[in-house]
Amino acid sequence: MSEEINCEETKRQVHEYLHNELSEQEIVDITAHVANCESCEGDYDFEHAFNNIIKQSCDEAPPAELAQRIIDRIRLIDSGRAEH
Amino acid sequence: MGDARWSKLNDTAWMTADEAKRLDSNLMTQSNEPMSAETRIKEFEEQALPYTRLLFGAAITKTKNYADAEDLVQETFAKAFRAWQQFQKGTNLRAWLMKILENTYINMYNKKLKERGSGSLDDLEEFQIGAAESLTARPQRSAEVEALNQMASKDVREALQNLSEEFRMVVYYAVVEGLSYAEIADVMDTPVGTVMSRLHRGKKALFDALKDFAASEGYDTTPTKEKKASARAAKAVNE
Repeated sequence: MSEEINCEETKRQVHEYLHNELSEQEIVDITAHVANCESCEGDYDFEHAFNNIIKQSCDEAPPAELAQRIIDRIRLIDSGRAEH
Repeated sequence: MGDARWSKLNDTAWMTADEAKRLDSNLMTQSNEPMSAETRIKEFEEQALPYTRLLFGAAITKTKNYADAEDLVQETFAKAFRAWQQFQKGTNLRAWLMKILENTYINMYNKKLKERGSGSLDDLEEFQIGAAESLTARPQRSAEVEALNQMASKDVREALQNLSEEFRMVVYYAVVEGLSYAEIADVMDTPVGTVMSRLHRGKKALFDALKDFAASEGYDTTPTKEKKASARAAKAVNE
C-alpha cells in the first residue's frame, strides 16, 4: 500500500533514493512526493547535480604504460606458477 | 625464464613471499576445476583489466598521488590474478577488485596506518547526526547548484582529497563507482549503517568545504534577498 510521506522522511532518504537503495514502494512514494514539493525537489536536484560534479572531478585516465605493465606483471606471475 | 627483462621485473615485484604464500594456499583450497594458463590469462585480461581506469581512480583517491596509485593498481591486479579462481562468477567483479585494492593498500601502507591516531569521528553517533543535519531547510538550492557548476573539477577533486580517508572513499565508491551500500560495507569492512552515515556526512562536509572555497575565491552563493538583509543588519550595527 502506498503511504503519504512527509518532507522530513523524503529529505532524509535522498542519498538512498539516488543510490537505488530503496524498495520499489518507497521509490514510488518518494517520487510522488518530490513531484509535488518544491523544497524536496530542490534537495533532490541538488544532490543529483552534486553527484555529477563529483563524478566529473574524479574521472582520471591512468598513464598509458600502466596497462602494459599490468599485463607484463600477470604474465610473469603465471609463468612463475607454471614452472612448479 | 632466461629473459633478462623478466628477471629484472621479478626482482622488483612488490608482493612479499608471505602474502604470496597465503594467497597461493587459498588458491589450493579451491574446489573450482583447474583452468589452463592460457584460459586464466585470457579471461583475466578480458574481464578484470577493463577496470584499470576505475581502480586507478580509486587508487588516486586513496593514495593522493600518481606514483603510489600506479603501484597500488599494479599490486591489486597481481593479487587479483593470483586469486582469480576464487572469484565467484556472476558476483560483482568491480566490488571484488575494490576489496582487494583496500586490502592491498593496508598491506602496502600498514606502517603509515599504524602511525595514524585512532578514534575517528564516525565511530560516535553514526547516522543520527546525518539525519539531523539533512533536515535543515535550504531554500537557496538552485543558487547552490549554479555555484557548484561553476567550480573547476580540480577544486572539487582537491576538496574531496581533503576529506578523511574513510569519508572520501565511501563518497568515491558510492558516487563515482556506483557500488551499493552492501558492497561498500564489504569492501571497507564496516557495517552498512556506517557506510550510510559516511556518505551523508562526507557529502555534506565536501559541500561545506566547497562553499567556503567558493566564498574565498569570490564566487557568490548568497541569494540577493539575504545579501540585502545582511547589508541592512551590518549598517544597523555600524550606526
